Amino acid sequence: MRAGLYIHVPFCASVCPYCDFAVTLAGEERRRAYVAGIEREAAMAAADGLSFDTIYLGGGTPSALAADQLAEVLAAVKAGLRVEAGAWTFLEVNPEDVSSASVRAWRQLGVRAVSLGVQALDGEALAFLGRRHTADGARRALDRLRAGGFTTVSIDLIYGLPGQTVASWSRQLEEAAARAVDHISCYQLTIHRGTVFGRRHARGELEAAPEPAQAELFLLTHRRLAELGYQGYEVSNFAAAPGHRSRHNIKYWRHLPYLGLGPAAHSFVGRRRFWNHRKLRIWQRAVDAGRRPVEGVEELADADLALEAVMLGLRTSDGVDLEALRSRYGIDLVALNRRSIERLCDSGHLVLEADRLRPTVSGMAIADTLARSLELAR
Amino acid sequence: MDNVRTFCIIAHIDHGKSTLADRLIQHCGAVEARDFRDQILDSMDIERERGITIKSNSVTLDYVARDGRSYHLNLIDTPGHVDFSHEVRRSLMSCEGALLLVDASQGVEAQTVANLYLALEYDLEIVPVINKIDLPSADVERVRAEIEEDLGLDADDAVLCSAKDGVGIADVLEAVVHRLPPPTGDLAAPLKALIFDAEYDPYRGAVLLVRVMEGTLRPGQQVLLMHTQAHYQVEEVGLLQLRRVRTAELGAGAVGYLIAGVKAVSDIDVGDTVTEAERPAAEPVPGYRPAKPVVFSSIYPMSNEEYPDLAKALEKLKLNDAALTYDKDSSAALGFGFRCGFLGLLHLEVVQERLRREHDLSLILSAPSVRYRVTLADGSVRWIDNPSEFPEPGSISRTEEPFIRTSVMMPERYLGPVMELCRERRGVKTGFHYLAVGRVELTSEMPLADVLFDFNDRLKSVTQGYGSFDYEMLDYRDTDLVKVDILVNGEPVDALAQLVHRDKARPRALHYCERLAETIPRQQFKIAIQGAIGGQIIARTTINAFRKDVTAKCYGGDITRKRKLLEKQKKGKKRMKMVGSVEIPQSAFVAVLKTDKD
Repeated sequence: MRAGLYIHVPFCASVCPYCDFAVTLAGEERRRAYVAGIEREAAMAAADGLSFDTIYLGGGTPSALAADQLAEVLAAVKAGLRVEAGAWTFLEVNPEDVSSASVRAWRQLGVRAVSLGVQALDGEALAFLGRRHTADGARRALDRLRAGGFTTVSIDLIYGLPGQTVASWSRQLEEAAARAVDHISCYQLTIHRGTVFGRRHARGELEAAPEPAQAELFLLTHRRLAELGYQGYEVSNFAAAPGHRSRHNIKYWRHLPYLGLGPAAHSFVGRRRFWNHRKLRIWQRAVDAGRRPVEGVEELADADLALEAVMLGLRTSDGVDLEALRSRYGIDLVALNRRSIERLCDSGHLVLEADRLRPTVSGMAIADTLARSLELAR
Repeated sequence: MDNVRTFCIIAHIDHGKSTLADRLIQHCGAVEARDFRDQILDSMDIERERGITIKSNSVTLDYVARDGRSYHLNLIDTPGHVDFSHEVRRSLMSCEGALLLVDASQGVEAQTVANLYLALEYDLEIVPVINKIDLPSADVERVRAEIEEDLGLDADDAVLCSAKDGVGIADVLEAVVHRLPPPTGDLAAPLKALIFDAEYDPYRGAVLLVRVMEGTLRPGQQVLLMHTQAHYQVEEVGLLQLRRVRTAELGAGAVGYLIAGVKAVSDIDVGDTVTEAERPAAEPVPGYRPAKPVVFSSIYPMSNEEYPDLAKALEKLKLNDAALTYDKDSSAALGFGFRCGFLGLLHLEVVQERLRREHDLSLILSAPSVRYRVTLADGSVRWIDNPSEFPEPGSISRTEEPFIRTSVMMPERYLGPVMELCRERRGVKTGFHYLAVGRVELTSEMPLADVLFDFNDRLKSVTQGYGSFDYEMLDYRDTDLVKVDILVNGEPVDALAQLVHRDKARPRALHYCERLAETIPRQQFKIAIQGAIGGQIIARTTINAFRKDVTAKCYGGDITRKRKLLEKQKKGKKRMKMVGSVEIPQSAFVAVLKTDKD
């Protein structure tokens, strides 16, 4: 499989109170400079020698860029890097940016899959999340994307909001299924420090839902979506058919190479992981001066890679590839953890197959603990 | 010999013993101002930090009195705590007199009394000194009355001082010179020197602190330690003047050090008598008894890899601490460790603290236990201090446990709660008498085991810090002993098993279960914690399972951060002990040993 190309577009029309990504409200001038910057960064990154079969425009809000700017970005990366013909292009969009005209423009750019930032199909929840669109706005956006001919449409939803009931969350899942979206990402609300929610939490105004309620919603989400025909192939990701799985995101989970352009983007090439400066200004200064805008680099040893392979594998329904662990790192996970694995299989958290160790849904719910409890060395 | 005075300072903890010693040393110019530090006689960090003295020390001071004559003053600094009463006794035996130091606001307290009785046992001349007269709460007249009524000493000529402010220090020294007698002894008699403590020097081995009673000690002499029957050759003798000052000899009446090729402090016994091999003394200095541990606990390294380090560390501590005993021990839950014997709880704490600090070890200690006398049906007797060695209940015909006589001194208003506390702790023959106005001494005979478990903390709590307490060993008495097991998901945690009186079994087991439920983190399955006697469950708590901990996002390729977090958690897990499938953090083992009230 080829490498994935991620382009971080940090611009937003407003900052959501839960969001801890690298985002900025910067206006037109900085956006133009950014587009030129991506062009320079892509040219410098050609030295990494990767060739790509996916391009993912994430953010921030990539749809906040005008169609001609997006076109410039895509043209620049295709000019500077080896992008295969027929590479899949993914685009994250916000409902308020979806018009018949923008849909047409994105299609013309060759975008294959759209991820729509719905977040909720419920007015109250949308207000709490500080979103700029309404539930009906999101529904209209979905219809337009379909009408415009997109065959892979994904939506994002956030659950576990304070006071959210099982009934109201189930209704949203059912509506998503009824609208036949191809892929759903369901993120449980996490309160991050440094966000508006984080500050409200510190002041005691906002509490995370208690663990038993979170667990109930997590398990319900997986159960309900399975009933509705979606495969939960990762902790937070569900696909209506195997072909709708995010062929870009799975690269992160399978240790396939990826290159990230733009502020805060991460790259993984060979054994090296590196990440860009998070602040747009610092990133911009670096690329303008003709330097790679890299903030940190890490060279991964076998032990690091093995630990990640287990940690990431346990987050996916495909589980941990035992044969790969053995052949690449000389680690026999089952032999090292015979008793724990037996116990976790008995308790219904894991399923052991010939060459895979898969988490069940309740296993995925405690993937962090599972990763912690498996030993990789004597 | 007429110009020699040898004395010690006896006091309750915090009454200013070390500060007074510091001032006496400074007044005599034994230390340059720039070399001075507080608590100068306490060399261990832990002594200095906690304001306690663990090892005896001595210093020979040169003092020119007001009458113009020069004196050698030997100040012997003794531990104050009951755990170290063996060392205290040896130190007292080396002295002719004692300064009885009493805090001008706190007055006479239990250790003051206990130490005074000890001093009187050895016929020491006593000079009462009232310290901290600078305090606003000082009440010299009341304290004088207490000294007279509680202690039966003449307080009219008590010396008043404030060691902190350096007031009255010369008066104290004058009293030492004029009110304490000089030593007696015959320089030509057969050698008789008392070892009152010993310290370990990495280059010289054990350095013995001695008081020469009779005869003269010189380098080159072949000496015999009368109790251990060990022979050594004297390499060096001298005075302790905050450092070792070599001298040609130490004659009767002198206090100093002796180096004789003794490897470790544990090779000799404090209290033994040094005599000349060719011309031995007729009999040793009386009162010798080897230090006997009374409290036992198993020490395990948090990580099994630290076991060799722990072994080395104990060996090293033992070089300087003859009273510490240890043997190999192992626990199904905690792996290999050592069963250790201590003089008391303070000694245990000190050893634990030194292992942690000086050797950087992370440890788990099992519940402290006393030593029980168990008579089996076949008439044989076994001494048991480790619950894992407790015989089958059916094979036991009789169990006995050590009793102590406790003395608690306190203001009268706390009498009720303290009597209640003693009753709770199975105290018998509890009685009291009035001391000075408003003050009471309560005595009780209690099982030592019940005092080990947080008695001192509870006493401080019910008397708001005004009660003080001391004890002495009495005898072994019949008891009804059971072994309480603590089970985690059905698996016994042997390190938490304990021997307790049947009446105490249920509350103690419940206390343990509750503490564990508070400190063991929730895991992905339900955890049952039970207390049991044999197969019978007597206490139970449950820790509910958690079902979700996974983070929602693992995106944008920022996997490094997530892995680092995981690595940190995995490291944290290394400090957990696995009992069956349950992870128990070190804090849980520590927490169960803590009391309810703190």
